[in-house]
Amino acid sequence: METKLMGVGETIGLIHDGDSVTLSGVSMVRAPMAFVKEIVKAKRKELSIIDREPGIDFDILIGAGAVKRVRFAMLGLELLGLAPNFRRAAEQGEIEYLETTCGAITNGLRAGAMGMPFVPVKGIIGTDLLPLHEKKGTWRVIDDPFSGEKIVAVKAIIPDVAVIHVQKADKFGNASIEGARFEDVYKAKSAKTLIITAEEIVDTKYFVGHPERNTIPYFYTAAVVHVPKGAYPTACYNYYPPDYGFVKNYVSMCRAGRFDEFIERWLRGEEDEN
Amino acid sequence: MKIKIADIMIKAMAQTLADGDTVLHGLGSPLPAIAMHLAKASHAPDLVFFPVSEGLDPNPDRYRLRLSSADPDHFVGAKAVIELIETFDLASKGKLTAMFLGGAQIDSRGNTNLTCIGDYQRPKIKLPGGAATSFLTPLVKKLILWTTHHSKRVFVDRLDFLTGLGYEEGKDKEVTIITDKAVFMVEKGYLVLKSVHKDVSVKDVVENMSFAPIVGKYGVTTTPTSEDMVLIRNIDPDGIRFSEFEG
Repeated sequence: METKLMGVGETIGLIHDGDSVTLSGVSMVRAPMAFVKEIVKAKRKELSIIDREPGIDFDILIGAGAVKRVRFAMLGLELLGLAPNFRRAAEQGEIEYLETTCGAITNGLRAGAMGMPFVPVKGIIGTDLLPLHEKKGTWRVIDDPFSGEKIVAVKAIIPDVAVIHVQKADKFGNASIEGARFEDVYKAKSAKTLIITAEEIVDTKYFVGHPERNTIPYFYTAAVVHVPKGAYPTACYNYYPPDYGFVKNYVSMCRAGRFDEFIERWLRGEEDEN
Repeated sequence: MKIKIADIMIKAMAQTLADGDTVLHGLGSPLPAIAMHLAKASHAPDLVFFPVSEGLDPNPDRYRLRLSSADPDHFVGAKAVIELIETFDLASKGKLTAMFLGGAQIDSRGNTNLTCIGDYQRPKIKLPGGAATSFLTPLVKKLILWTTHHSKRVFVDRLDFLTGLGYEEGKDKEVTIITDKAVFMVEKGYLVLKSVHKDVSVKDVVENMSFAPIVGKYGVTTTPTSEDMVLIRNIDPDGIRFSEFEG
């Protein structure tokens, strides 16, 4: 079996301008921040980014001008406030955005992973999200063929690329997510190209004899990148907590109109040393 | 230490939950998270606790409130990984009994807006979004809405965007609204005052709403006991529960 271990530089070539991209984690937990940094460095443009409840990862990509479209159920920084770049870009009409709801986006990814064109999802009918999605062609109200009741069909979500940060992976792309998984397994299995970034590269022996550790097996994976602290400043369970101070500083710099300065320092690795 | 409004809201939230309820809280939900611990430690020991951090029944002895409700620290000592999608599957089966959700705007039927202020296409304020609201509000039996900013800005005649459904005719669904001033329930499609918090006047409650709630027989919201306060302060020694009241 061939190694899929790659440097970040090579791996960034798997993401192209205009691609749809989903990232691991939620909010301030296990977002592939080191890879987000590489996307910004490589000046990728016109990306469609999609996730259930992203936070600083999406806000940075939007601020850096890498994004054309964003689909999310919630995009904010919880108690640390609204996501400053997303908010501005949405209010100024700089990006296209499509708000969705958790049960629809997770099931859309699950449909993608299942190889189904759509999944029926309960709830939603009667809310203002429904006409928005019907117009975009992402949801349709259909009749349940068995009961005749109205139900929302959510179109499968098949991202061009998923970037999933995990605790441990081997060089062939077997990957172990420890703790909360969120929709990451569905993201991994629905995407056309899967990039794994890992805190540690382990020997395949780590999985052999303990197959339950293997959350995402090798045959799904296109590339493995070794990135210690690859989720920082978001958390990586069993490795490090979220750095709330980092996020607070980010928000105050953005509010003071200093996002560009933040990005320059962050790309140079200076923000990470705080 | 003085009992604060946050503590009264937590107690009121806990009281909406019964033993055996299966309850989910989402991101940005410090008050519901404490309330779920409080209910489970007192009158609802068999409450099934689903946190957005995905660790089933987090361990109250080591749980410390954090700025993110998904902080993996909450996972340590939990009984199982329950992916959020699994709680949505439960909801689809009618087996998720209760959910806590916020409301940037709330109308007289308990419908909510968490999406935007102004027009969706070009909003005056783009809010973070409804998260699970549109999906779950029609599916749970107990919907507990909360706001820490009881005001005319929140209680509106007309929502700018309908993210979540409150009252639904003919459905077995209980909608409770807990604010920093009072507790309401939606009955027969309209908001009814149930209790006002200690030291809050009914005038203060009503004058800070854009529509008139039904004011009949109401009480004073239960104040947490000293035992409740020990638990609340153990879960949140850093006072993170107060941060939602700022701004």
